[in-house]
Amino acid sequence: MHDTPLIGPYNPDDVLAWEQDGPRTARQFLSDVTRLAELLPNRPTVLNLATSRYEFLVGFAAAILRRQLTLLPQSRAPQTLCRIAGDYPDSYGLTDREETIEGIESVSIQPRGGLAPWPDEIPRVPLNQVVAIAFTSGSTGQPMPNKKTWGALTAVAHATGSRLGIKGGERAVVVATVPHQHMFGLEASVMLPIMHGLVMHAGRPLFPADIRSALVDVTGQRILVTTPLHLHACVTEGVRVPPVALILSATAPLSRALAQEAERHFQAEVHEIFGFAEAGSVAERRTIDGDSWRPLDGVRVVQDQTSWMVHAEYLPAPVPVPDRITVDARGMFVVHGRGADQINIAGHRVSLGDLNQKLLGIDGVHDGVFFLPEEGTDLVTRLMAFVVAPGKTSEEIQRALRTHIDPVFLPRPLVCVPSLPRNATGKLPRESVSELARQWLAGQRHGA
Amino acid sequence: MSQLSLLEQDIAKLIVETLKLKVEPATIQPEAVLFGDGLGLDSIDALELSLAISQTYGYQLKSSDPEITVIFSSLRALANAIEKNRTK
Repeated sequence: MHDTPLIGPYNPDDVLAWEQDGPRTARQFLSDVTRLAELLPNRPTVLNLATSRYEFLVGFAAAILRRQLTLLPQSRAPQTLCRIAGDYPDSYGLTDREETIEGIESVSIQPRGGLAPWPDEIPRVPLNQVVAIAFTSGSTGQPMPNKKTWGALTAVAHATGSRLGIKGGERAVVVATVPHQHMFGLEASVMLPIMHGLVMHAGRPLFPADIRSALVDVTGQRILVTTPLHLHACVTEGVRVPPVALILSATAPLSRALAQEAERHFQAEVHEIFGFAEAGSVAERRTIDGDSWRPLDGVRVVQDQTSWMVHAEYLPAPVPVPDRITVDARGMFVVHGRGADQINIAGHRVSLGDLNQKLLGIDGVHDGVFFLPEEGTDLVTRLMAFVVAPGKTSEEIQRALRTHIDPVFLPRPLVCVPSLPRNATGKLPRESVSELARQWLAGQRHGA
Repeated sequence: MSQLSLLEQDIAKLIVETLKLKVEPATIQPEAVLFGDGLGLDSIDALELSLAISQTYGYQLKSSDPEITVIFSSLRALANAIEKNRTK
């Protein structure tokens, strides 16, 4: 099998997506994709910034049929988009609003139009065709590209579906709070439904009341694809929700206590996915059952000389696991923490080295360092930064940083200091920065 | 010196405490934008803030509310919306 159909088991009039203004059938979808594919410029790469999950999918599918690669930037920060567009100079943008990216030609996804006849055969896509590039943060400040083949995306969708007992034909509806441009969002809220003939909700609910509305909007079995942050918000606010068949959470570790509460609140099993952009979804667990992760079918985690590697037939080469893990005899593993330089804030992973590079690149900054305090009781633990920049205010540096990094990484607070406690070799041990942070926080409390 | 109403002062304090901002609540301009360029808040802040608002004032924000961008546009707009919708 060298190629597979673009979508899974749908009849022409099956609903494939719920948009704000109503359903989109499989027939409508294929018509929209074919029409858009004819309109796309003849370019190799595309930045798909669509806000509607359905329109993102139409753009993604049209690009695939034109053998174009969809670029998945880590954030929509203007600087990130510009840098990626600089690295892929023949790119164009796809948008569903009046949004423009400076210096990048944009095409509007306008999937409105008549119905084309249902084709004799659903378009097929070669398994080895690279369809997307997910960017991750390297330690050098340069985004690292990770190529995703159609074979990898479809294999993960099928392995996830079979692990969760999702059957085509049951026509469950996937409601997702995660962005579709994020690797987990692409896998669980776009590829998972379309490979199983499910229905996708096109929205991206944020507040608990929005999540409730989205769940109420749709009928049939509901699958909620979300994050610990949204689960926490829903449970805390106690929104009343219609019955949910299954909850799938990822992007940050879910505590067993929150998983228990969420299972009670939604009357649904809460399963978690462990994965990272370089490898995609790797393993699954039902959080209340224990800490061990069970690799998806076809995935193995194997130790080489220096680190644990993810092996799968669809990965061109084994991929190192960025976290510290131990693997048992059955191949199941427990995650103990992040790799030394890695941090994860609300599902956005970055290397501290990368952030420090960007901080040091700002005009007027002589020295500087980011620091992640011990996780407290807050919903999200934010970074701090200590900066040596004579003559600059912390507001000025924040403003400059904002154009370079994803907003979730902006330091709270950014503290200007006369110097950093570097040691004799010029190194800045974590303990020294930690002490600096402790002193600063103590001073704040004292002053308050 | 502040031109903030009492409710605006309370909400300013709630924002600063919830989001650990390094600003004096009283210095937040009532008409200045909260998100994007103003205080530079993001969608996680919006979620955290919505929880704090719901717990403090019993008002559940909804982003499908056609006026959500207005409500979140400034401290004053947020205070007006809370005044209108609060249940505690």
